[in-house]
Amino acid sequence: MAQHAILTPATHATTRIVPERSVAMGDGLTSCLVVPDEFRRAQHEYLILFRRDIARDRTDAVVLLGFETGENLYLKDGRWDARYIPLVMDVQPFLIGRFAPDVAGGQVHIDMDSPRLSDTEGTLLFDVDGQPTPYLEGVIEKLGALDTSYRASEEFFAALRRHDLLEPLTLEVALADGSVNQLVGFQVIDEDRLIDLDGSALDDLHRDGHLMPIFMALASQSNLPALIARKNAELTHG
Amino acid sequence: MPGPHRRGGGASSNKDATRQVADGTETRSIVIVGGGTAGWLSACVLAARIGEVATHPVDITLVESPDVPTVGVGEGTWPTMRCTLRQIGLDEAAFLLECDAAFKQGSRFDGWRTGAADDRYWHPFVPPPAVDSRALVAGWQRHGGGRAFADAVSPQPAIAALDLAPRQRDMPGYAGALNYAYHLDAGKFAALLARHGAGRLGVRHVRDHVVAIVRSATGDIAAVSTRDHGAIAGDLFLDCTGHASLLIGGALGSGFVDRSATLCNDRALAVQVPVGPTTPIAAQTISTAHEAGWLWDIGLQSRRGIGCVYASRFMDDDGAAAVLRRYLSRAAPGIDYGTVPVRQLRFRSGHRERFWVRNCLAVGLSAGFCEPLEASAIVLIELSLDALLANFPQDRTAMDVQARRFDRLFHYRWDRIVEFLKLHYVLSRRDEPYWRAQRDPDTIPPRLAEQLMVWREQPPSQADLPHVDEIFPPASYHYVLYGMDHPAPAIPPATGEALAEPLTLLRQRTRALAASLPTQRAYFDGLRRAAAQGPASSSGLR
Repeated sequence: MAQHAILTPATHATTRIVPERSVAMGDGLTSCLVVPDEFRRAQHEYLILFRRDIARDRTDAVVLLGFETGENLYLKDGRWDARYIPLVMDVQPFLIGRFAPDVAGGQVHIDMDSPRLSDTEGTLLFDVDGQPTPYLEGVIEKLGALDTSYRASEEFFAALRRHDLLEPLTLEVALADGSVNQLVGFQVIDEDRLIDLDGSALDDLHRDGHLMPIFMALASQSNLPALIARKNAELTHG
Repeated sequence: MPGPHRRGGGASSNKDATRQVADGTETRSIVIVGGGTAGWLSACVLAARIGEVATHPVDITLVESPDVPTVGVGEGTWPTMRCTLRQIGLDEAAFLLECDAAFKQGSRFDGWRTGAADDRYWHPFVPPPAVDSRALVAGWQRHGGGRAFADAVSPQPAIAALDLAPRQRDMPGYAGALNYAYHLDAGKFAALLARHGAGRLGVRHVRDHVVAIVRSATGDIAAVSTRDHGAIAGDLFLDCTGHASLLIGGALGSGFVDRSATLCNDRALAVQVPVGPTTPIAAQTISTAHEAGWLWDIGLQSRRGIGCVYASRFMDDDGAAAVLRRYLSRAAPGIDYGTVPVRQLRFRSGHRERFWVRNCLAVGLSAGFCEPLEASAIVLIELSLDALLANFPQDRTAMDVQARRFDRLFHYRWDRIVEFLKLHYVLSRRDEPYWRAQRDPDTIPPRLAEQLMVWREQPPSQADLPHVDEIFPPASYHYVLYGMDHPAPAIPPATGEALAEPLTLLRQRTRALAASLPTQRAYFDGLRRAAAQGPASSSGLR
């Protein structure tokens, strides 16, 4: 169980965050959550999919990072090989305090069990005067953006449901080694339904700012071949 | 970047050991007399780079006496060393590990203005933002937030004050977030260069004592006679024999130009103090003024080199020992002074009348020596080799012309070094007899005295230092001049607006660097761990 602590200059004066991106650092994930506000930046690099969480009765958006459990094809030589890192991954190992989700109130928590923590290597959180470093300032900003967008995303997914714009994805991926991987449990934008929407439905989506992320999610599908190419390169070069 | 210039087997190059040098003879063999930093750095640089300039193969031989100990206290380099090491094909991580080296980000001068407890200024390697010198000084006064000059216009003092490394370990070798040089163990450095030069670059290494210098009928040096290897002939000789100056001073009679009237320090007591594995490693040379000279303090991974430079005219050896002891008890507590061996060095600041005579070039201490205040010894070796390679005599025909041009260039450089070192003293307000004597107008070079008058009205600029490759650029003068509290000239304040935005960016960058750079200690701990785990970074060649 992760051990979360409230971040303070006094207790984390010498704490550094190792910038390395690797499975050992906890980055070995097949997919990760993205929020609608970052679809525009994510669609350059990732395949954006939707996933129904039945237990919690909500839909989330994710980006696909690999095909097998624990496989993140964007990890390369200790770096995250993409121009954009999803917010959820970028803010690791920080999170917003559970009992006070208002980031402006300073409730930034840190996962004390994260392998990213070090006293010698990486980036400091506080400078010698106890002020947040530019790195931590950036993290706090991203945490705020993530939190705001995540909570606002309920409306986006409600709109998708209202207009019945999601359909289950059935996809078979043939790889260079002859194997066929099946992607199951994801949903994508139903393109036919989207095209058939009438003017008032489009107006409804547009007014609430949902049209842009819908099209960004659609556009992101062009990244699938690139993801398969990453997988094949790995299969070929070991 | 050129690859290491490999030559064929060294044994075959010995065939014409008795050939005489005559006009028109191609420069096919270079003989370097003397090991140590100068000899081996010369051997490696020439072996690696001669192929860029020579129209024919050139053999490099280094004759090193097993009897003569090297001086080996030159422990500070300039940033130029990064380029030099890369050119000769050494891996930076391997170099750092083998030479017990640490990063140097400039110098800190303590006690030079008044000797008060908070009397301190920096001469960092990162220059100020590239604006006109008037805009720089006016901008510092207007937008510097009341900070001292170097602290306002360079990110480096703040970084070095935190003992941080100028780079992260995963950066490519020799790249830095901030400009840097090295502190190193000179003995280990010469040994590494010897292994690299003889093992990888095809330098022929002769371990023998030179007993005589053989002249040809024209007066050139034809060969050096050795005890066991006979005569070793060459077309061009490099005198790297240190203070002995065996070839250029001894055989060729190039006289010594004494500069001690300007730079009166003539002795040093040097110690090496081991440090614990968890102590911070200082990121700059610390130069602390004392009543009759100054102390150096240079941090390596496993030791600190500390020395007391003094003028025997103002302080006797016992007095210097007491100064050193006081410094150690304050700066390196826990050291039993009685158990640390103390070496005394005696020197006279000055240089040769000519640095290149006939077919012989002086490189290193044989060319001259000034007190080590700005670590000019090793960089002069690099500059001499750069100048030789840029003007390499393909044969004997133009060699005397090249020699005269080389002499002019290096006279200019030595003059600038002497003046720049003197600048550190003439601006002091310390009141001891030594310091008053340092300010005696009779000891100040006329050109420096003139410039000091000009600098009351305008900051140092290109106009004062017109050469393309000045050894000390205007930025160095700015750091010392305004670090020493020389009054800034009156400049219309609006001129300083050009610096407002660069200073804002610089402060942001400083904060980001302070957060992301590792301490020097953490850097080298990590480097050693990585070297112990994988062979990737432990090979000698990149």
